Amino acid sequence: MSNGNRKIWFRGARAIAASFFKKHGQMGAQAPGSTFLISIGFVAVLSLMVLSWFWWWFPYHLFSDEVYDVVVVNAPQSFIDYNQYMQKYRDMKARDYGSRTDWLSNWGHMSFFKYNYDGYGWTKFIYKENSALYDFVTFGKWMRENDAYLTVVFPEGFDESVSARTKDHTLPKPDILTYYRTNSIEYTSMKNDFIDEYLHGYQDYMREQNGWAYSNVVDSRIIDDPMDFSNTEEGHSAIGDTLGRTFAPLLLFIVVLYASMSAGTNVIAGQKELGTFTGILMTPVPRSAIIAGNLLGVTLKTLIPSFLFAIPFIIVPYYWKHGALIYLIVHIIILAIFISAMTIFISVINDTVVSAQTAFLPVFLILISVCVTCIQNATEREPFYLYLPVYGQFYGIGDALAGHAEIPGLIACSFATLALAFVVVLISEKLLHNERYTVSIDPVTAKEIKNARTGKNTVMDVADKITDTFVFTVRETIYPLMILGFCQMIAIVPMVINYMGRAEYSQFIADLKSVTTVTDIMKKTFEVIGIFMGNPIFLALMTVAYVLMITACVIRTKVVFHKKDYKEAFATAGLPLSKPGKVIRDYLIGLVFGFLMMSSVCLILKLTGQIEFTGLGFSKDLIPVFLINMLMWFPQGASEEVLFRGYMIPRLETRYKRAFAVFFSSLLFSVFHSLNAGYTPLASVNLLLIAVLFALIYLKTGNIWMTCAMHTAWNLSQGNVYGLDVSGNVAHAALINTSHSAGAKDVVTGGAFGPEGGLAVTAVTLVCMVIVIVLLVRSRNLARNKDA
Amino acid sequence: MIRVNDVHKSYTKETETIKGVSFEIGKGTIFGLLGPNGAGKTTLMQIIATLMKPTSGTVEIGGMTPEKDLLKIHRLIGFLTTEIKLDPVSTPNDLFDFFADLYDIPKEEIKQRKEKAFERFGITPFAKRRISELSTGMKQKISIAISLLHEPPIIIFDEPTNGLDILTSRQVTDYLKELRSEGRCILLSTHIFSVAEELCDEVAILVDGKIVAQGTVEELIKLSGEKSFEDAFFKIYVENHKEEK
Repeated sequence: MSNGNRKIWFRGARAIAASFFKKHGQMGAQAPGSTFLISIGFVAVLSLMVLSWFWWWFPYHLFSDEVYDVVVVNAPQSFIDYNQYMQKYRDMKARDYGSRTDWLSNWGHMSFFKYNYDGYGWTKFIYKENSALYDFVTFGKWMRENDAYLTVVFPEGFDESVSARTKDHTLPKPDILTYYRTNSIEYTSMKNDFIDEYLHGYQDYMREQNGWAYSNVVDSRIIDDPMDFSNTEEGHSAIGDTLGRTFAPLLLFIVVLYASMSAGTNVIAGQKELGTFTGILMTPVPRSAIIAGNLLGVTLKTLIPSFLFAIPFIIVPYYWKHGALIYLIVHIIILAIFISAMTIFISVINDTVVSAQTAFLPVFLILISVCVTCIQNATEREPFYLYLPVYGQFYGIGDALAGHAEIPGLIACSFATLALAFVVVLISEKLLHNERYTVSIDPVTAKEIKNARTGKNTVMDVADKITDTFVFTVRETIYPLMILGFCQMIAIVPMVINYMGRAEYSQFIADLKSVTTVTDIMKKTFEVIGIFMGNPIFLALMTVAYVLMITACVIRTKVVFHKKDYKEAFATAGLPLSKPGKVIRDYLIGLVFGFLMMSSVCLILKLTGQIEFTGLGFSKDLIPVFLINMLMWFPQGASEEVLFRGYMIPRLETRYKRAFAVFFSSLLFSVFHSLNAGYTPLASVNLLLIAVLFALIYLKTGNIWMTCAMHTAWNLSQGNVYGLDVSGNVAHAALINTSHSAGAKDVVTGGAFGPEGGLAVTAVTLVCMVIVIVLLVRSRNLARNKDA
Repeated sequence: MIRVNDVHKSYTKETETIKGVSFEIGKGTIFGLLGPNGAGKTTLMQIIATLMKPTSGTVEIGGMTPEKDLLKIHRLIGFLTTEIKLDPVSTPNDLFDFFADLYDIPKEEIKQRKEKAFERFGITPFAKRRISELSTGMKQKISIAISLLHEPPIIIFDEPTNGLDILTSRQVTDYLKELRSEGRCILLSTHIFSVAEELCDEVAILVDGKIVAQGTVEELIKLSGEKSFEDAFFKIYVENHKEEK
């Protein structure tokens, strides 16, 4: 390569890679909404499957017919005795079934849905007689009839032959035969477990009862509490291992795959679809540089969300061992390069984004299947798996997150993967010299097809439009949810991990078993979050999370509204910064109004005798919690305002009328609070009204500074001044202690949800709303008069 | 500058789209390729622009063949079509910078060239707007400015005024004349007779993948014995086009 060629190679590749990060988005057609919807559904189903592995909470009985029972043919008396003797252990195991301890000790055997047979805890024995030892037809029939998976066949006169053999060792050993059903692969391991644990235990029991000597070590297993896992330290380590080795790598794989797909299929295939690719091909940049630049761009674009999603796992200090972080980063980078090479290849052989994404789906599924096999074989993996592409990354990421790391595995696997990626890239480059993959469609034909489509308003066009609007709405619903969920996860994951190591956690799990309804589960969850609410670290983390949420909203505003800079983005998101004096004035007015509104609510409640003030609740110890809690309310109020008002209303207004935008965003605001404790239909109505009120104020003032302040003052005074529950959350440090009076009615006070679930808030909100509407109408009339 | 020698092209085994085309274009000439839709104009243009390979025959550009010196040829040609080929979410400014990088224009020259080109076509006020917000005429002008930013001596232009309003198409034809006076070699395809009459130094009529007549506009009118170029074209077309059964 001559000097000039080398120069243009690098310059071209760099420019193409840089185009991925241009202000106005990358080159190429955007994926249509339906693909987005399908992908979201796909990821949702996968996430559900992943979450189902944390099976102590998952309702498996909905998915599996629990088959644990065993048919015993010709059971000797000693075996029946043994079953009775074991009953207490089996009861214990049955009780522990589905508990965290059991899960911790068995996570290696995970597979989809009903994965974890606990050995023999829930086994019922069905006793049968049959003189034919090999009559598998009858055994099969019995197993089907009794929902059993295993048949244990004793020869007739088993006890007698055994005791005879103790006297004369030359006699043949009596064999115990097992038959098991083969319609699920799990039955094989369940059978092995049964033999290993239960039948060996039976052997020990026989020895003990009859005073026989132990013949060898293997046969002398101790059956006492074989599954017990009470040591907290080890429990902690196991939960880390499980998260690190199964959930985290899988999540990362999904993120890498998805991010790479959305970036990679957009470029070459998307450029072909738009017709912009010809322009790039006509430049003197070599095809290899085009591929390299795109690969670099897609890889970088993939790495951003991948590292972002790795953060919640990395920040748990437990994983931070032996420089494992570096291994993690290397593995993620290599994986991203490989997947990006795949997407580039698929992009090269396809002409449109949709076809490229469809073609990527099998790759997606294959790689996810690889992950699943990795998880299933986690305990019995062969060492060479560490050196294979994809497998190596999965195990490597898992190992790194669990604090182990191996240099040979890292190097071998990285080289193998890079080599494979290189081959894929080479093939893509070769294909790019072929006109079949570069000149996609004759423009005249393309135009004719397009004209034929747009000429008439066919049923398909209408359907497209409806789908488009639907997808827009769903997307705009999902994004706030994602922002909310992700940011709060940052605060909650470390707390939950910490909580799992505590004694209360066992109680929590034990209590969970007794609850049946979703409401109860939510209630229990909010009890835990209630505990967190008194923890200054959690409050500080939440403060950070809310600030992140606001940042995310502003960034998204900048992107979707194509704003030049962040100053404009802030203004569009309802937070104009140009007039500081007005901002401060609005904010102060908001604070006062919010406080007054909440005070009037409390006044109503007090006057109607619903609540009683039980004195000042302030003590020295509570000062840090109180201060951090106060601090938290500021970004908290602002984040919800910017999410549901500042960002969402103008965004929805691009498609819908203003009234619908206000109504829909308020509805979402209300629905998003439905997971909170003590949520009632009245609470939903109240939240809707409050949201509409805030939206009206936003429309009146043109910014959300005032509503941010009102939101903050409302929550702050509610929780930390008057000591009431804030949307189902308990505030721990309040100036005034308040309690519901004996005759208090939940309809008025809102019960566990706090005043927002009661009629007092309804009344105050309605009054305020009337005032704001009057003001709005007046200012509109004024404006109209001015025009006239 | 452009030499096309007995080029054949077939997409499928049964049908041949280009059935042996040869011509030559020199410096400072505008060569027009005329023909009805489906005659193979676009295919021929894409073959000359090196986007497709001919099934047989050769294309030489500036004395080089695409097999040997593809990237050098790319520095020589500017390829344009009215099929708008600009990224709709980008801005003229960003696109110009992007393609200036891909054409390896010296960094210090980019700004100067951009100002000149944008000024020439009146793009400057729209330089920071998204492409999708702009009118068709403006898009075409941006497309020209960007495709010719490396100042290529050879310009291949597929349907230069197709779908443009009178004002813009006038600007485009004026610009093409200006480029000719600078000594560039221009190949354009069109089915609009006025454009061909006004611009082209030489015209070739392509019917069913074959050049059936070639010469200056006057020569062709004379040859057919008709009064206007339009009539001449129709006569030549009817004589050569076989109805497919």
